[in-house]
Amino acid sequence: MAHPVLLLGTTALQVTRETGRMFLFLLQTILASLSPPWRLRNVFKQIHFIGMRSLFVIALTSVFAGMVLALQGYYTLSRFGSEALLGPAVALSMIRELGPVLSGLMITGRAGSAIAAELGIMRIREQIDALDVMGVPPIRFLAVPRFLAGLVALPLLTVIFDVIGIWGGYLVAVQLLGMSAGTYLGGIESAVSMHDVTTGLIKALCFGIVITWVCSYKGYFARRGAEGVSHATTSAVVLSSVLILVSDYFITAMML
Amino acid sequence: MTTHPSPTTTELRARLADTFSEECREYRQRYHDNPAAIVPILSMQGVTKHLDGRMVLNGIDLDIPKQAITAIIGISGSGKSVTLKHLVGLMRPDSGIVALNGQNLGSLSGKKLQAVRRRFSLLFQGGALFDSLNVFDNVAFPLRETTRTSESEIQTRVFGALEDVNLSGMGHKFPDELSGGMNKRAALARALITRPEIILLDEPTAGLDPIIENAIHHLICDTFLRTRTTMVVISHAVPAIFKWCHHVIVLHQGKVLASGPAMTIMDSSDPVIRQFIRGEVDGPIHIL
Repeated sequence: MAHPVLLLGTTALQVTRETGRMFLFLLQTILASLSPPWRLRNVFKQIHFIGMRSLFVIALTSVFAGMVLALQGYYTLSRFGSEALLGPAVALSMIRELGPVLSGLMITGRAGSAIAAELGIMRIREQIDALDVMGVPPIRFLAVPRFLAGLVALPLLTVIFDVIGIWGGYLVAVQLLGMSAGTYLGGIESAVSMHDVTTGLIKALCFGIVITWVCSYKGYFARRGAEGVSHATTSAVVLSSVLILVSDYFITAMML
Repeated sequence: MTTHPSPTTTELRARLADTFSEECREYRQRYHDNPAAIVPILSMQGVTKHLDGRMVLNGIDLDIPKQAITAIIGISGSGKSVTLKHLVGLMRPDSGIVALNGQNLGSLSGKKLQAVRRRFSLLFQGGALFDSLNVFDNVAFPLRETTRTSESEIQTRVFGALEDVNLSGMGHKFPDELSGGMNKRAALARALITRPEIILLDEPTAGLDPIIENAIHHLICDTFLRTRTTMVVISHAVPAIFKWCHHVIVLHQGKVLASGPAMTIMDSSDPVIRQFIRGEVDGPIHIL
């Protein structure tokens, strides 16, 4: 059995090396995305894949998130006689927190895993090496379109999530619980500020970076056949999800 | 008026084999008369490489002659594919030098390395065609991405390349709809389309039936005679490979065991080389 100190040292070195490689990958991706050629066709293809093809899952998640939030919120607020605040409570929770975080987690599961798996398969089938040999920089060709698409798609999906979520809350509050539409919507208009919307969108932007960065990185450096791709996909989803929640806390703390 | 019948494909193939065989004899003569007259385009000096704690290349010294077909042979695990990846700069040696026309590839990075790589083409063992593109787009890919060739010119060249590898009419198919042999031929068309200075072929005939194997050897040889491109082939197709290359390098246990004209290596009395060429189980190489 390895000595605990040796094990600790080896693990620390591995984590440091992996973190360094991840940040270098991000840096290379950012630098490559700042200069032409941008391969806009690939970028639009990825926006379609990450954005358009996630619409259904985003709509479904958001409507139920809004509905359950309204139900729970009404139950809690009614204890204090503050049912009138239900609209602002649902809207603020959606716009500031649930919209970007749940969108991020859903996109990680749907598109992030696919990105990691696709690049992983390209790696083990030597397609990434083939790009290298042809003199086509693989990071520019593979990671940059996904990175730019994440920057565009995540904020858009978050806005859609927010709107549908608030509408889900409206369905429960107005149609099911009998609240007046004016009270629900009027409260939102007066309570939600531009700062709240900006905070949500900045979070979405950051999560877009996290998802495309981590998932592309994990797939890009996948090794050892099918098992390696499976491992890369799993670790991409887990790490992206964890980083979304961790960065959510810090962004919230900074923007309050 | 007399008519001269045009030569049949069989006659053309026979002529190709004869021409190349004659050329190989001349090459051996030149090599033996004055080895210094054989100009190397690629060279490795003292290259070592460890992978997963195992020494794969153990001080490789070799020269790849310019405008000749060189075969790298050796048993599985002798370091052939790793050597090929070093030659094109996909791997960097732990120590030693890999040089193209005397320029150390290890000292290059970024755009300079990309520019050097565009002088190469590499046919990967598994083909490495892009799954999301059909055969036509796969073959056209290097032209579209690395050159300013017009789309009409690309079309002409791709159709020509597909015809050369006998894949006419297959341009619309995707890689997962092709057989192993077709996949390899499509990858070969992609490797040839940019008319590179150096073509590296990693087991171009592995897993193919003898007829396609022979056809691919003819194609490689025909391409060479037309273009005089430097070619490096990794192959297990022994003894056929001796018929289709000028120069042979034998790798064994991460080192160069022998290097020289194909005919000289074929006649070698080295027991390892003899065992490998004859495919004998008993001998200095212990497999079982």
